[in-house]
Amino acid sequence: MTLFHFGNCFALAYFPYFIAYKCSGLSEYNAFWRCVQAGATYLFVQLCKMLFLATFFPTWEGGAGVYDFVGEFMKATVDLADLLGLHLVMSRNAGKGEYKIMVAAMGWATAELVMSRCLPLWVGARGIEFDWKYIQMSFDSNISLIHYIGMAAVVWMFTRYDLPKTFRLPVTVLLALCVYKSFLMELFVHVFLLGSWTVLLVKAVLTGGISLCSLFLFVTLVHSN
Amino acid sequence: MAISEVLSRRCVIMRLAEFSYEEYQKALRQSAGAVVIILPKNMSAMPQDIVQQFMELEPEMLATETIVPVYFAMEDDELLSIYTQTLTSSSSQGSLSAAEVLLHTATANGFQMVTSGAQSKAVSDWAITSLEGRLAGVGGEDLPTIVVVAHYDSFGIAPWLSYGADSNGSGVSMLLELARLFSKLYTYKRTHAGYNLLFFVSGGGKFNYQGTKRWLEDNLDHTDSSLLQDNVAFVLCLDTLGNGDSLHLHVSKPPKEGSPQFSLLKELELVAASQYPEVKFSMVHKKINLADDMLAWEHERFGIRRLPAFTLSHLPSHRLAQRFSIMDVRPHVDVKKLSRNTKLVAEALARVIYNLTEKGAPGDLQIFTEQMQVQDEQQSAVVDWLTAQPRAAQLVDKDSSVVSTLEYHLGHYLKDVKRHYVKADKRDPEFVFYDQLKQTMNAYRVKPAIFDLLLAVCIAAYLGMMYLAIQVSH
Repeated sequence: MTLFHFGNCFALAYFPYFIAYKCSGLSEYNAFWRCVQAGATYLFVQLCKMLFLATFFPTWEGGAGVYDFVGEFMKATVDLADLLGLHLVMSRNAGKGEYKIMVAAMGWATAELVMSRCLPLWVGARGIEFDWKYIQMSFDSNISLIHYIGMAAVVWMFTRYDLPKTFRLPVTVLLALCVYKSFLMELFVHVFLLGSWTVLLVKAVLTGGISLCSLFLFVTLVHSN
Repeated sequence: MAISEVLSRRCVIMRLAEFSYEEYQKALRQSAGAVVIILPKNMSAMPQDIVQQFMELEPEMLATETIVPVYFAMEDDELLSIYTQTLTSSSSQGSLSAAEVLLHTATANGFQMVTSGAQSKAVSDWAITSLEGRLAGVGGEDLPTIVVVAHYDSFGIAPWLSYGADSNGSGVSMLLELARLFSKLYTYKRTHAGYNLLFFVSGGGKFNYQGTKRWLEDNLDHTDSSLLQDNVAFVLCLDTLGNGDSLHLHVSKPPKEGSPQFSLLKELELVAASQYPEVKFSMVHKKINLADDMLAWEHERFGIRRLPAFTLSHLPSHRLAQRFSIMDVRPHVDVKKLSRNTKLVAEALARVIYNLTEKGAPGDLQIFTEQMQVQDEQQSAVVDWLTAQPRAAQLVDKDSSVVSTLEYHLGHYLKDVKRHYVKADKRDPEFVFYDQLKQTMNAYRVKPAIFDLLLAVCIAAYLGMMYLAIQVSH
């Protein structure tokens, strides 16, 4: 029943997006095409990042066991382009802050889901061999959704002209954390040699933390206006 | 293996250490999907009684006709882990509560074994190769010929795993060493004797000595003149000489007094008694029984064609299982004993060729010493090389590296090294070989169907919770 397993993984990965789309009220605003535009921006930004990385970063020549901290750090810095992309999407959408954030995050995350997870699931989960990594991949896509919502919220807050002084610092810190989250995760894995389920758990906790903080800040900001 | 289980469409995995013939027969009776027998890498570490029991079971397993494919695999870490996981999951069935069974399905691993080979087909036009070479004697035309024969192929229940160290890697090693020593003696005028020496490394030996049979037919029936037609003193076949402290000279007819055969027998007795008292030498007389399916020893082929022949072996009987077993691996050959036996045979042959006993040489006179010494390292290297690859007759074709290396090696010492081919007759074949002897089996980790349903239920619950959480927070 391996097609069934593929169905399981696909449901686990895709349904939260569906639920988020329906429940956040985006469907009432006919935001579907705007989400697709956000997805297209995601593709464009990824392409630019890849070209930039390929052109300016040399391949790591060191041994297999050594982790290139500096190199990976520099590569993570390129992920700042993600923030720029999100900002671009949000600035082109008129409407309430909440609406802008959700459109941008949904489109971005869905594009990432389709591009980076659908094919491995289709090819791998349908095979005879069973591996836990497909379930983990689907969970990971859920975590990504929350991550992108949080990231979009932080970017939106960063660009607000009426952001109170006290919020500046936490917002900047959260922004930095968002960008370097994957770098930090790899660092953890390398240093502590974590198993795959533990990695997922740590990732969920980290993303949850960042998102809760950004949610808290967002709610405070919106209510104070 | 669990008791009283339905085995159809299942792959039964057994380890050699826990091999039981009853379980094996049960698997065949119940038409299991396949049987995989795991053999340890280090056979010599296994207790001898298990090895002996398996050796004796091999011919019975071969004789059983079955549609169930039986595979033999060498053990490594992953295969062992597959075995232990399957063992724990199959032995714990039927004794757990429902909750434990559910937990079990989530955590345990099943395996699906897939092989990719096709159905075995008979191989047509397979040529068994044999090699001959000679050392010509000095002085005149009608010199007597001594023939030394050893078959180089091996046999076992799994052709790709039959390395045939003692039977007959030791025989080939001894033949090559004798060729080297006598070729050295024959290069000097003073020691060039009046005997032709003909060396024959035969193929298809384990399949009723096919190589020898066709060689004899070709030499005696189809050519006008051949060394075998004229004056043959005797034929000495070497078969399984790499171990043990006894030597048996198997004959089909006791040698007549005054014949060259008789003098070799006497010289062997003399050399064994005076130089190697720890070796028990004896003659074993067994008449050729043409009604048997298979001939006993290689000398019987020559005996049928009325050539005086005998086989030297450390085994007292041709029926012993170790001549046809995959358990016959390199540790079964003790190179010291092989060298000792080689020296014994070389001394006895030299005494016959140079007529030393009549000339009054004492029994303990050693010819093969110092530069003419039997080289242990060389013999060990030959046995190591021979046992590095399987040499079943179905696997060694005329382009095989075993044949070309033997040809090259013989060419160093002997003249007129020739290849000789045997192909099965088209209409009434004496032997038929099948292919698909080596297959790749892939093991896939799978979860039972229940697991997918369980997972679906869990995911539905998770999604439901998420939906409720979002509804509540709005």
